Amino acid sequence: MKRPASATASDRWVRLLLRLYPSDFRDEMGDAFVEAYHDRCRAAAERGRGALAAVWLRALVDSLWNGVGERLRPAVAWRRSGNWGRDMELAARRIRRSPVFALSVIGTLTIGLGAFAVVTAVIDKVLIQPLPYHRPNDLYFVWRDYTAWFDLKRGWVGGPDVAALDTAGGPIAGAVGLRLDQRTLSTNAASAGNPELIPVMISTPKLFDLLGVRPLLGRTFAPSEGGENRAPVIVLGYDLWQRRFGGDRSIVGSDVRLNNTPYKVIGVMDEGFHFVRHSSLGAPERADAFITFAYSLAGQSPRSGAFAALVRARPGASPQQIMAAVAAVGAAIDERTFNHKGLRLYPVGLEADLVAPVRPALVVLGLSALVLIIVLTVNLATLLLTRAAHREREFAVSRALGANRAALVRATLAEAGILGALGGFGAAIIAIWGTRMLVALAPLDLPRRESIAVDWRIGMVVVAVGALLGLCAGVAPAFWATRSTLATLLRQAAVRGGGRGRLRRGLVVMQVALSLVLLSAGGMVARSFEQLLRSHPGFDPEDVLTLRVEVAPWRYPNNASAVAFDDQFQQALAALPGVVATGASSAVPLTANTDQRDVRFPTAPGNTGQSDRDEPLVDVMQSRAGWFRTLRIPILAGRDFAPPRAGAPREAIIDRTLAAQFFPSGGAIGATLVIGDTLHPLTVVGVVDHARQYDLYRDGRPQVYLRDDDDTYGPLYFAVRTTRLPLDLVPDIRAAMRRLDSQLAIADVRTLDDIVNQSVRQQRLSAVLVAGFSLGALSLAAMGLFGVVAGTVAARRHEIAVRLALGADNGSVLRLVLGEGGVLVALGFVVGVPGVLLTGSVIRSALVGVSPFDPLTLSGVVTGMMIVTLAACYLAARRVTAIDPAGAFRGE
Amino acid sequence: MDIERTTDDPPPLRPVEFDILLSLAVGDRHGYGIIQDAQERGLGPVPDVGTLYRALRRLEERGLIKPSGRAPAADANDERRNYYGITPRGRRVARAEARRLQALTRAARLSGLLGAGAV
Repeated sequence: MKRPASATASDRWVRLLLRLYPSDFRDEMGDAFVEAYHDRCRAAAERGRGALAAVWLRALVDSLWNGVGERLRPAVAWRRSGNWGRDMELAARRIRRSPVFALSVIGTLTIGLGAFAVVTAVIDKVLIQPLPYHRPNDLYFVWRDYTAWFDLKRGWVGGPDVAALDTAGGPIAGAVGLRLDQRTLSTNAASAGNPELIPVMISTPKLFDLLGVRPLLGRTFAPSEGGENRAPVIVLGYDLWQRRFGGDRSIVGSDVRLNNTPYKVIGVMDEGFHFVRHSSLGAPERADAFITFAYSLAGQSPRSGAFAALVRARPGASPQQIMAAVAAVGAAIDERTFNHKGLRLYPVGLEADLVAPVRPALVVLGLSALVLIIVLTVNLATLLLTRAAHREREFAVSRALGANRAALVRATLAEAGILGALGGFGAAIIAIWGTRMLVALAPLDLPRRESIAVDWRIGMVVVAVGALLGLCAGVAPAFWATRSTLATLLRQAAVRGGGRGRLRRGLVVMQVALSLVLLSAGGMVARSFEQLLRSHPGFDPEDVLTLRVEVAPWRYPNNASAVAFDDQFQQALAALPGVVATGASSAVPLTANTDQRDVRFPTAPGNTGQSDRDEPLVDVMQSRAGWFRTLRIPILAGRDFAPPRAGAPREAIIDRTLAAQFFPSGGAIGATLVIGDTLHPLTVVGVVDHARQYDLYRDGRPQVYLRDDDDTYGPLYFAVRTTRLPLDLVPDIRAAMRRLDSQLAIADVRTLDDIVNQSVRQQRLSAVLVAGFSLGALSLAAMGLFGVVAGTVAARRHEIAVRLALGADNGSVLRLVLGEGGVLVALGFVVGVPGVLLTGSVIRSALVGVSPFDPLTLSGVVTGMMIVTLAACYLAARRVTAIDPAGAFRGE
Repeated sequence: MDIERTTDDPPPLRPVEFDILLSLAVGDRHGYGIIQDAQERGLGPVPDVGTLYRALRRLEERGLIKPSGRAPAADANDERRNYYGITPRGRRVARAEARRLQALTRAARLSGLLGAGAV
């Protein structure tokens, strides 16, 4: 029995190498394996140290190769000796035999994967896919930053700025200026029938060259087709071409009319071309057609900002280089035009500019979807593991009767794969419908909204991912269960529980933790949305219809004729049945459509002597009498606009913010107000509440309303408050317009409610999705807990029967089992806390009026989760009471 | 019950498996003994220990060999060892393989690949 010390040492090394082999191989062959190496070493030792070293080196390589080979053997055998038809038949039979299991797997996958696919499609289209231009990353919008002297971080640039950028050279390849305008489109000068107000992009001629896109038909602008005396030419967008001209290819070369001026159609863009002009403050806007400026940008007023500037960088120029080049142009303008007041120009990448507003919400969505898919996989693994545990005996008996392990693995994997693919199929359907629903719900200014769709290719990918997830979740249990032999099983039967139970408990703890994270995020987003809906925006959106009318300068060339038309139209609206109030303004609330100007109140008591404070930047709107009554914007002091009289001063109305700043103790009425560098002083006749122009949940800049009759320009939005359904008024309004002027069109007909809903669409969408995700995760976790506790009850049946037989009452046994579930829930909470903190900091930017660690919400979430999870435990634990000690013993 | 029916045609023997059957055809051997036999035959590479035991396990699963209990070691060290013996089925399979090799050799000779005197 004695062995030299070196031999035992080498035995230890061999046993270490043996760990490379699977455990069943070790059990069966281990001793003989060690012996053989022992012999070999002894033989080598006689030949010298070199030979011994060679043996060990070879042993290492040998064990690596064969150990891994032996571990992979079931897979190899599976590939070599597959009998697919039979496997599928077996798997299908198994699935039919346990419909509840199959349904829970398929349901889990359908919901989880479907939601994931929808979110992936949106994120892919919005955040990831490149814009459809040539080298889109080299395109930048340039904005003016006035923050050195007033609160405007992102202002339009001046015409000369664009010209300077275009000729700047260096890393800047070129620049174009852009404006968006509404023009009345008509096709036939003689009848002038069928007028339609369309958005038109006005740019310098090289817009399309700068974007690097080609037209579908005809050509785009030539360099000479811009500036004074340019030939009027127009490029049509695909949608307008289809809608208005039925896709007629012969349209190229013929004339259309904009505001009664003929334009020659020179080209049509293709379907994939969607260019939006980014705005200084509002949402990006798109146009139906493209024309060029009839003036030179360099000759425009250098002070006023009126254009969006789009800049292309030379290939290879870094964002820092562009930043520096644009800043240099800005510095020159600051010196020349603004006397070193501190004006800055800065570029923003096109993609970043487009996506920035929705990025926080999408990131939250993406993360929730990711967490959901983790919960989903964990749940799937738990389900399959439970199933494997149930079938362990069956496997062992099959093997004892001579079934080969490869076949068992194959059948289990086939089963998991079929379930996965079925789940994936369900998910694909959910994804396709879900995306359609989502796009319908999504905010209209969601970037590339129209291109978001799940097509059959993504559907196929979803099915494949489902099958793959099924297989992944099936691998562990399959190998695990088939490793067991009848002998080990019988040994285990004596001592229940063991390793697999621990794994399942670990998975459930993870599920509880992840659900806590998702639910707290969901709770926050829902609370935030609730806050949003509760906020009072300063007006009453119910029962109000708004519509835009452009009183075309080519038909009403002077102020008097335009105001006369507006009066007539407003009277016609007021005369419609069911209309209780009418008004008009240049901007509807929540559409970020105001002008920004600086104002001062020369005689106000609130002046401080600091020009920064005394000349604030305000939102300026032009309104007609009746606007405040129609929108129910409270008039806090003074009165509404009165009809203008010759010689009487021009009138203005200010909001409560300005009144509070400049007239803290009242007395605003009758004060004098000066706008910018205009010559006409205005008299304040009223103070109104602040009707929010930007966000539903917070005030924007201070506001000044000018009486539109004093100097009307641009389109007006008429508002009608009615006792009927607002949209029922539309035919009457169109008829009234036709009676007054058949060549004018009304556009943008929307209810104010609709506008409010639109403004919270993104938040609503996030709230719905995140809440859905977190509830999904919670139900998955509850299912997992139920399974574990029910499994415990089943496994401890014998022990519990003994306890009951020895006199324990149902209550104490129930508490025992419940305690086990409670511990898992508590552990899950503990594990989840860092996740909650992390998520909180991520979603902070997507929340409104609620802290990401709002104690009320968090305690609500925790309480809710406790109730649900403990209820799941309780339902499972109640099975204890069904144990009949006598029956349990008989069964053993 | 999920029982995979084994097909009647046995899969072909690998070289290392044939080596094992060759050794065991003479008499029971332990693992290292089989390696030594292969070394003595001097034909082709000598199998590594891991390769050998995996092959032993496969053959055992296919019923071609069986553990023949722990016999006293042939050498002086009074250790007990794992011995393997060939089963009747193993002998049949080995014989079939040998015939197949013989037929192949004959064919090779006929096609002029091997000289008349070559082994």
